[in-house]
Amino acid sequence: MLSITLNFQSEPRLHEAARIALPHIFEVSWPDPTKLGVDSKSAAILLNEARETLAGHLSVRSDEISFLGEPSLGFHLALSGLLSPGKRLIYSNIDRMEIFAIAENHPNLQLASSTSGEIDFKDCTNSDVVSLQLCNRETGIIQVGRPANCAELFVDATASGTRIGLPGNWSAALWDSTSWAGPGGLGVLAISKKAKWKNPLPHLDGRVNPGPTSLPLIVASALAIDSWVADEKNLAKKISAINSEIRTYITNKIPNSDLAPDGADHLLSASFLYVNAEQLVTMLADKGFAVDSGSACNATNMQPSHVLAALGILTQGNIRLTIHHATSFEDVKIFLEVLEQTVAELRA
Amino acid sequence: MEVLDCLGKRCPLPVIELAKALNSKPIGSQIKLLSDDPASAPDLIAWARMTGNSVQEVDESTFEVTKLTD
Repeated sequence: MLSITLNFQSEPRLHEAARIALPHIFEVSWPDPTKLGVDSKSAAILLNEARETLAGHLSVRSDEISFLGEPSLGFHLALSGLLSPGKRLIYSNIDRMEIFAIAENHPNLQLASSTSGEIDFKDCTNSDVVSLQLCNRETGIIQVGRPANCAELFVDATASGTRIGLPGNWSAALWDSTSWAGPGGLGVLAISKKAKWKNPLPHLDGRVNPGPTSLPLIVASALAIDSWVADEKNLAKKISAINSEIRTYITNKIPNSDLAPDGADHLLSASFLYVNAEQLVTMLADKGFAVDSGSACNATNMQPSHVLAALGILTQGNIRLTIHHATSFEDVKIFLEVLEQTVAELRA
Repeated sequence: MEVLDCLGKRCPLPVIELAKALNSKPIGSQIKLLSDDPASAPDLIAWARMTGNSVQEVDESTFEVTKLTD
């Protein structure tokens, strides 16, 4: 039997513009762009074009960006590079765990989010390195707080992608290529020319990361971002309407549900009282719907999501939905009926 | 105070068993819930907010619950 899975998990399918070009990309981007020779020169041109395209969409200079084969390494590269001795790291309790790990090695201050997700940065001083998450990937909360004072500002743009611009005083910023339906396993790290950044990795030259990063992935990501940004303009209204539809349905039809506050239109988190998330995710998967969860019983470390707990949102029976460009109203209507039925079954 | 021992039970069982135990009891009833599941502290607070009941955290595995609504 052919089973069709509707994808509400965070990973999007690779954008069609990149997918159809992949064989050609691999065909032409095998040479080392740093070497001499005709083929290498062509590869260098490809790399430069991709760099210009990505920098343009991310509103940074093309000589400020580096490509990372492991996007999460960017948290360490950026923050540890900005944290000169004596500097304090200021971060929040809804930041990513990678940032919690970096804080362990430095003087630090963890700020507590309000229940609406807002961080108050008033205690930041001109000798602090501040970590600012533009959008929370688990709940979609868009951060409205901005530090007025800081020595350096790191911006986690991994969940917001091109949707939210960088604040003017940014020092370093990190994006994940999957946020514009580019290939996985590719991060873009920007380090401002104005930032006092020192490479925390062993190094003998000016490169930010040892590399080499896959040229085919970089080229595919540039193709994806060009098309994705154009699609986003046309589809933003639909995504927003789908988000409202899901919120309204859950609020009206599923009792004892706890929705995370409004945020980015493409993300949504809902928790259901008296429901085991592992069973819910498994049953939805069996019925053809792939969703994520922040509940303890679905986590490898058996700990509930620190983000949900910090926001005071119920951590049990949690599902996390990502609304992709391809997600349709029809898909969502079927999904919501199945969700309502499944939650009722699990509570019975 | 009646004690409900949910030690060793994983989320969402402690909250489910608490709700069941309170179901037949009059408003004002109190239960001391013992639970060492890491999700219990945040989830009991969320449960109290969602259902209109009250939870006091005595220590990390002891919670005093008061039924305030039916």
